[in-house]
Amino acid sequence: MNERVAIVGIGWSGYRSKSADLSYKELIYESAVKAYADAGVDPRKDIQSFVTVAEDFHEGTSIFDEYTPDQLGAALKPVHTITGDGLHGLATAYMLVKTGQFDIVAVEGHSKASNILTLPEVTAYAQDPILNRPLRFNTHFVAGLEMNRFLFETGTTQEQCAAVVQKNRRNALNNPKAPYGADLTLEDILSGPVLSWPLGKRDSAEHSDGAIVMVLASESTARHLNDKPIWILGMGWCNDSPSLESREWGELPYIQKAAQIAYRQAGFRNPQGIIDFAEIDDTYSYKELQSLEALGFCLPGEAGILTEDGATEVDGELPVNASGGSLGMGHMIDATGLARALEVVLQLRGEAGLYQLEDVNVGLAQSWRGIPTTSGAVAVLAN
Amino acid sequence: MTLLERDPKSPLTWSGNLPVTSRYTFGLAGEKFFRAIKDEGKIIGSYCKKCDHTYVPASQFCEKCLAEVSDWVDVGTIGELHTFTVLYEGYDGARLVQPEIVAFISLGDGGLIHRLGEINLDEIYFGMPLEAVFLPEGQRQGSILDIRYFKPAG
Ligand SMILES: [Zn+2]
Repeated sequence: MNERVAIVGIGWSGYRSKSADLSYKELIYESAVKAYADAGVDPRKDIQSFVTVAEDFHEGTSIFDEYTPDQLGAALKPVHTITGDGLHGLATAYMLVKTGQFDIVAVEGHSKASNILTLPEVTAYAQDPILNRPLRFNTHFVAGLEMNRFLFETGTTQEQCAAVVQKNRRNALNNPKAPYGADLTLEDILSGPVLSWPLGKRDSAEHSDGAIVMVLASESTARHLNDKPIWILGMGWCNDSPSLESREWGELPYIQKAAQIAYRQAGFRNPQGIIDFAEIDDTYSYKELQSLEALGFCLPGEAGILTEDGATEVDGELPVNASGGSLGMGHMIDATGLARALEVVLQLRGEAGLYQLEDVNVGLAQSWRGIPTTSGAVAVLAN
Repeated sequence: MTLLERDPKSPLTWSGNLPVTSRYTFGLAGEKFFRAIKDEGKIIGSYCKKCDHTYVPASQFCEKCLAEVSDWVDVGTIGELHTFTVLYEGYDGARLVQPEIVAFISLGDGGLIHRLGEINLDEIYFGMPLEAVFLPEGQRQGSILDIRYFKPAG
């Protein structure tokens, strides 16, 4: 199918540090009905296939994918759940439309992080059980090792990483969806408790609860549904060897590759001058800098300097995480990449409110699946 | 935005848990690797001739060319510090009373994750030689914990 694919409906619930009033099904339901109303579709009649993103251990339920159809209006329809980040889910929905077999497809991602009462242990259970887990290290050590090597190889400083935290949490003050907005000084950030030196606790995003649903449609269908279709120009994803013993520690070759795939589909090689703004991984402050370099926006070692110079501020050359990112909005576990993509869609529609950027036509969303993984995805979207 | 107004006396949540216990097979290469640690106090890798790459820990296959790897090499017990961190939280997220120094130590073209011991933070530098400190022979069981930690070499 050569028709283009558009995002024609968006809905979300949250984001909040806790959501004691709503079950995960109600969070998803709230997002789904908003997205369907936004797209002007009847889920029971019009949507032909559904994709959800979830991880059993995060849900606290085995074979969790069985629990996803009802709240989406997906019962007795094709549904599949994938494990991965939300952007992998968006890519899967994109491919389903691209097959030509489905005109309208929905994708869902959510986080009920506040209900995972033993998250450090759950994350540690993702470490290699023979080589790494017996050492019983909190999994943040992987980020500490990576950050230290990144700083060493590129000359990036802890102050430059703190500047990412300062920017994103300030940006979040303008975003009513963001629970972690704050106006911090660099000193506030650098003097906070240490997590895994050189990584501070304030370099690490808190979690939030919420859900996101998007509706995708083929070009001919999209034109009838929505006067603001947001086109998917390219999507790439890539996985490196997961082992801590054979991975790169200072750079992100899998993000670089994922970006190259997405850029090739979109018809360009170099994002500079083409991408107007980006919503990217900032699970940890240094990740935003490392990702900017892997995405080809600058050379290794330059992202920290550009950040200090204000180039990634909302009024800078390349606004990055104008929404507040994960540092400001909270990390959404498996839904994180979908949250980034949602912010790109809002900007391209001109619906970002107080943090709306001017004259934006092409945006990039990028995600990482979190520690201890080496999986990432990139989407290029345009209005 | 909420869909429900809750009765404060109503049941809010239910807690559940699951005992998860699994067995993990070392496999052909893993068994060679951990037997060498246990029986000989040696760290071995496997060498892919085609890629000129030495896997540590030893692997049965080359992830670059996917050939089966059958040349086993002793890479010694001294590696180089590739990166390190000082960890302030424990496995369960609780604050550690005594922060731990964790490192990736390069050996061959791979390496090992382990803790560092007999070392002061201010003497650590990238590239410094580090030596594996093994448990005494009779106490080794064939696991990564047979290495107690790495310490500055020499
Ligand atoms: Zn090979």
